[in-house]
Amino acid sequence: MVLPSQTLTGDTRAAPAAHSVDLRKTYGAGQAAVHALAGITVAFERGRFTAVMGPSGSGKSTLMHCMAGLDRPTSGQSFVGDLDIGKLDDAGLTKLRRDRIGFVFQSFNLIPTLTAAENITLPVALAGAKVDQEWLGYLVKQLGIGDRLAHRPSELSGGQQQRVACARALINKPDLIFADEPTGNLDSNASADLLAFLRRSVQELGQSIVMVTHDPRGAGYADRVVFLADGTVVGDLERPTADTVLERMRTLGA
Amino acid sequence: MRNVTLKGLLAHKLRLALTALAIVLGVAFISGTFVLTDTLNNTFSVLFGNVYQKVDFQVRGVAQLGSGANATRNELPESLLATVRRVPGVEAAEGGVEGYAQFVAHDGKAIQTGGAPTLGISFDPDQQISALRIIAGGPPVTSGDVVMDAGTAQKYGFTVGQRVRIVSAGAVRAFTITGIAEFGSANNLAGATLAAFTLPTAQDVVQETGHLDDIDVVTAPGAGKAVVQRDIAAVLPPGVQVVTGQTLVNENASAISQSLSFFSTALLVFAFISLFVGGFTIFNTFSIIVGQRTRELALLRIVGASRRQVFRSVLTEAAITGLVSSAIGLGLGVLAALGLEALLRGFGITLPAGSLVFEPRTVLVGLAVGVGVTVVAAIGPARNAVRIPPVAALGDRQSDSDVSLRRRFAWGTALAVAGVVLLAIGLAKPAIQLVGAGAVCIFVGAAMLAPVAARPLSSVIGRPLARALGVSGKLGRENSMRSPRRTAQTASALMVGLALVAAISVFGASLSRSSTASVDDAISADLILTANGSGQVSGSVPAAASAVPGVTATTTVYRSQFELQNTLATLTAVSTQHLAGTLILRMTAGTTAALARGELLIDSTTATSKHLSVGGAVPVRFARTGSSVLRVGGIYQANALIGSYLVSAAFFVSHFTNPSLAALLLRTNGSAAADKAVTNALAPYPNLQVQTRAQFEQTQNASVNQLLGLVYALLGLAVLIALIGIVNTLMLSVFERTREIGLLRAVGMMRRQVRAMIRSEAVILAIFGAIIGIIIGTGMGIALVSSLKQQGITDTVVPASRLLVFLLLSALLGLVAASWPARRAAKLDVLAAIAAE
Ligand SMILES: Nc1ncnc2c1ncn2[C@@H]1O[C@H](COP(=O)(O)OP(=O)(O)O)[C@@H](O)[C@H]1O
Ligand SMILES: [Mg+2]
Repeated sequence: MVLPSQTLTGDTRAAPAAHSVDLRKTYGAGQAAVHALAGITVAFERGRFTAVMGPSGSGKSTLMHCMAGLDRPTSGQSFVGDLDIGKLDDAGLTKLRRDRIGFVFQSFNLIPTLTAAENITLPVALAGAKVDQEWLGYLVKQLGIGDRLAHRPSELSGGQQQRVACARALINKPDLIFADEPTGNLDSNASADLLAFLRRSVQELGQSIVMVTHDPRGAGYADRVVFLADGTVVGDLERPTADTVLERMRTLGA
Repeated sequence: MRNVTLKGLLAHKLRLALTALAIVLGVAFISGTFVLTDTLNNTFSVLFGNVYQKVDFQVRGVAQLGSGANATRNELPESLLATVRRVPGVEAAEGGVEGYAQFVAHDGKAIQTGGAPTLGISFDPDQQISALRIIAGGPPVTSGDVVMDAGTAQKYGFTVGQRVRIVSAGAVRAFTITGIAEFGSANNLAGATLAAFTLPTAQDVVQETGHLDDIDVVTAPGAGKAVVQRDIAAVLPPGVQVVTGQTLVNENASAISQSLSFFSTALLVFAFISLFVGGFTIFNTFSIIVGQRTRELALLRIVGASRRQVFRSVLTEAAITGLVSSAIGLGLGVLAALGLEALLRGFGITLPAGSLVFEPRTVLVGLAVGVGVTVVAAIGPARNAVRIPPVAALGDRQSDSDVSLRRRFAWGTALAVAGVVLLAIGLAKPAIQLVGAGAVCIFVGAAMLAPVAARPLSSVIGRPLARALGVSGKLGRENSMRSPRRTAQTASALMVGLALVAAISVFGASLSRSSTASVDDAISADLILTANGSGQVSGSVPAAASAVPGVTATTTVYRSQFELQNTLATLTAVSTQHLAGTLILRMTAGTTAALARGELLIDSTTATSKHLSVGGAVPVRFARTGSSVLRVGGIYQANALIGSYLVSAAFFVSHFTNPSLAALLLRTNGSAAADKAVTNALAPYPNLQVQTRAQFEQTQNASVNQLLGLVYALLGLAVLIALIGIVNTLMLSVFERTREIGLLRAVGMMRRQVRAMIRSEAVILAIFGAIIGIIIGTGMGIALVSSLKQQGITDTVVPASRLLVFLLLSALLGLVAASWPARRAAKLDVLAAIAAE
């Protein structure tokens, strides 16, 4: 088994998986301007599980979109590895997302016409590459969705759907996975399963993950929590637990 | 509720615009047809009004065959002119003749008119009567003079003083152009060419020496017209009548509108086909819209909207769409009229120019049909909207219940079967309305059944695409399979278009093959001489041709109208001397020797349908010699050249005035030298075509193909509307799948791949519709052809390669239809998937 951490060479390990420099995103203009990101400089280290928290509307999703090449910032730079993604055109960004970034969204993660297996391997198929069957088998086993592979999304539970999405996010062994409230629609059991899997993939596979969450317990699975408010970074917490997160949230007034 | 309807309309401008386009085009076609035919009618009426405006009365022979302007009448003795002139109250009277005379252009070719007559007439020196107004030069004076119509002079570059050769039933002669003339203000008589001579010259040219066709009379000012008419009638011999100028105008107008009515009916049929296809598109759009608005409509129900209000809301939306698009279609009708005219001209049918006529009837029919089709097509979707239970607002979209699917299947089968039965009866009768009704039933039935085939067929069609295009092709295929009903409905419109195209091409191929086979079956002559256009073969041609060394047998062929059992029919005559060497007559009863005895031969189908057998007597009537009885001397198998009734040339010549020579069949010694010698010998007759059997066949085929080309072009609009339907569905699907496409883009689908995905879906849709259409159409074509066996279409040909080309073309058109939705999908915001909630 070739794991992502082992494929990384020493010198790139030094650089963070992704980082941003004075990232700004403004919607509207003049009086009505909304500064969704008001100058964010942040780095997400390799092989770590970072949670992003903050009140609703604080810019968490916007930050994720701008750093993942889904959206373009108004100003500032964001890097995946040491690649300045602001310099990429649409095709370059698409390739970046396909080959180097994984996504898990809160809902509507899967293409309804494709089976679970096809959804998982979609990024590989889009690249016209061959599926690493060994790796696929490993993911499927880890996520416990082996008996659901031939099913369509409509035949899967919410938790199963999110696990399929996780498998898809991991299929290309990406530099970084962005997950935007992946447990937002799940009950606590399914949430715990999913978070445990994400945790494991960081620990055992050396995967880098950035996860937006509202849930202090969810943040407890992370190595680090970054707090946002009004489009700026307002706090940073290493080795969080549910309690320390809650406490920090209180002091931040969220 | 009205507010909801209007907001619904405004919220979806794009999809409405596309739906409307189908109606706009159909209505434009209909109103264009009306505008064109009304304009032609008006143009002709004005023209004939001009021609006869100065004439108070006309003296002419009583109609012998037919009636009105197209009747065959006997000539008048020239002496009658003096008698008429002596009637009190007659200020002026001029005799006239009319016949065949064709100009030869500077390049040595006979000038052709594309269907309009090439007339030779006598020039009325009396300007009080003459319809011609000389605009340059002067009237003809000597027997070598001619006045040419301004239209021909302009088009072919003739001026006063030049010499021009003129082909007539007699010899080809050169004349000097003494003048150029117009009709009132028109430079040309609706595309006809006109050569006007002095009366004696005209009589000579049209071979009516000593005779007149008619006498035009102008009454003295102050004279009582009724009295004058009665007094003229009193001096006329039996078989001659006097009619008013107005009668002439009316007769001509009704003859014109009769011949135009066939033409406008044909165009209207195609217009209605387009609207029918448009109906499918509308039905589909409204189905999708109702599907997409399930939640919204259910919510309306929850807050208290009644079923009737929901139903009316959908129908009102349809009615408004129909009204607006019909109105636009009416406006475009004027353009359509010009387009149709250009199309017809492109296929060799020349129409006179005139200012466009827009009748109130055009507006009424256009609006009624446009709104009607839209509303009727929306009834089904509106009923579905009514069936949406209020709880649907809470859950996800509901799928069709099994019951409604089963009922749909039963209805579809019943309709299709009924359609086949109607079609069969209609073809057997034959009754064109039944054929039409049958076809409509088959199409609607097939459209109802198509969802059953949609999933498996799309899967098969999509497989190679998925293999070639990878995941894009696969997703396109999946998308085409996910809603079989939508796929089937979208494809149905194309199905109708292609079914008609396929039916026509089966018919055309069979007709071509049959006529090719029948030329070889009908004629053994090596060369066939005919006049091009509406011309006549000069009477001196047979002698000139048979004198050519190498020509071993000559048969003259005449053709004209006669009455048989009181109905008008075409009679053909052949010279009997060398008949066996040039014509193939397979006798099933009697012998060709009967011809020489002055007996009638009949083809076997006619004999069967009229219950005639050898030895039987048939009542007939000829314009010149009146009624008589002919003995049936033999029965032959259908012959492409001869038609239904055949007599000997000798018999024919004795029963017709100025018998017109239709063709000449030559048997040669087979050498190329002989062919060449014949061509050389006939060089002085510039209106003659000398063709080998193969060339003759080719000309026959060419005219069949030209007609088919026109039909394809007219069906093209239906196919275009079907494509708009595909664009519309794809567009709606793209909107519906915004989140999905965004997600695909987020996980790494390139724009190019998005486009390929949408295109794959379109190609599958198009091929699906085309396959079903071609299957149904081929069936219809075969049915049509087999019903025409009696009419001489003996071979049934399914032009597989041509049908395959249509299939590929459909796929290509599907690609074209996809280009806009594909671009739109590729441009969709990646964030759309994630941003939405
Ligand atoms: N497309 C948009 N147009 C205008 N404002 C937007 C848009 N997207 C996000 N915003 C605004 O930007 C801010 C940050 O949004 P978002 O990043 O979605 O917040 P979070 O994910 O933290 O809840 C909010 O105030 C939101 O209203
Ligand atoms: Mg968010």
